[in-house]
Amino acid sequence: MASVLASIHPEDTVYGEVGDATVPLRFSSLTEEYGVLRERAALLDLSGHRLIEITGPAAVDFAQRLLARDVEYLTSDRCMMSLVLDESGQVVDQVVAFGREDGILLESSCGAGTRLLEHLQARKEDGVEVTDRSGDLTALGLEGPYSWGVVGRLIDGELASLPFESVVDTTWDDVEIVFARTGLTGEYGYQMIVPVEAAAGLWQRSLEHAQAAGLDALELAMLEVRQPIPRHEATPGATVVEIGANWLVDITKDEFVGRDAVVEAFENGGGRRTVGFTGCTGVPAPGTRVQAGGQDVGEIVYAVHSVGLDATLGLARVEQDLAAAGLELSVGGMPVTTLTSPYVVPKSWGIPII
Amino acid sequence: MTIDELRARAAERQQTCSQIKKMIVSRLDLEIEPDWITDDQPLFGRGLELDSLDVLELYVAIEAEFGVALYDSEMSVFGSVSRLADEVNPALRATA
Repeated sequence: MASVLASIHPEDTVYGEVGDATVPLRFSSLTEEYGVLRERAALLDLSGHRLIEITGPAAVDFAQRLLARDVEYLTSDRCMMSLVLDESGQVVDQVVAFGREDGILLESSCGAGTRLLEHLQARKEDGVEVTDRSGDLTALGLEGPYSWGVVGRLIDGELASLPFESVVDTTWDDVEIVFARTGLTGEYGYQMIVPVEAAAGLWQRSLEHAQAAGLDALELAMLEVRQPIPRHEATPGATVVEIGANWLVDITKDEFVGRDAVVEAFENGGGRRTVGFTGCTGVPAPGTRVQAGGQDVGEIVYAVHSVGLDATLGLARVEQDLAAAGLELSVGGMPVTTLTSPYVVPKSWGIPII
Repeated sequence: MTIDELRARAAERQQTCSQIKKMIVSRLDLEIEPDWITDDQPLFGRGLELDSLDVLELYVAIEAEFGVALYDSEMSVFGSVSRLADEVNPALRATA
């Protein structure tokens, strides 16, 4: 699935294959785009996030059964992030669910839309329609400590200060759009779901006030605030508890697909846990072994070079009694230090929306 | 450092984190088990979805339980349970 905005992105845009999507990784350089995201306002092409509509008289009941968080009373002015699990408790995807008058609109994580769609279709019941809307809708994102200013100049200043996870049906240039206060990086964040035919116009207009950033900068900033990235973190066999994505599951909900497995993993109490780390030279590959006091205690989930820390930053999955910040461990023979989240404090936490 | 020493250091942080989670669940009347909250999950907005009123409640609770006043602290101390643990037990911060 190519970006619907590919025709207007610069020729030297660097694209990457992420799951079922071809998405912009970088428009300029990671350092520049990261700086924009953490210091000003970044514009994000989220067309790799598939939009799937669940409608019909049984739509909400179906979504309530398939999503790990409680969406029974998700009104059309609210959205929420949730995991979608399979029967064995494995992560299928991490979605944003938008309440709609006629059902629920799901936004997949980047490149995971086909898997999510197949999962939903396979469990579809009478009275439920599952429709891929990615052919006619796409999502643009704004993230950054001053992204609220872009919203004001682009659409309406009052929308900038909406409560977190609020949704408004509004218009831009006489085009109906869904506007939401969201955020993946700890910075002020917004999403605009727009008809595909209007996306290029909104992107170009947004570029007058913000700078484009690709997936590399977005995922780095997500990691820095410990926002789960399922394509990196949901490794085969890892439970929700091991991933540390408990907050994307409502364990008080009576029933949802995967609940029994999650409860079992939680009550068993064993296994590994995920912890952030910095240090070492270079970026260790996923699966690199982690040692403590000379003993093998786990493995690297994934790691990158953090522009914010100017150092290697990654996640390791280690024995539960060693999953804590402030420990000196070893990766590939090199010392690393485990960290307290967030690893980088978002600038937005100290900047009010004016 | 030996693995036993590392485990002891981790246990100290995990104990403080556990104490904080119990305090949060109790003071805010949350319906979840304290251990369901992870050490690294965000507390405000995303994550535990606490709001500014909850912060005020936590200020009071932290002072009562740990004898630490956080009134003038930056919001970043509430970035996660583990970050909060650094504030209420400074011995942890020296190593984090």
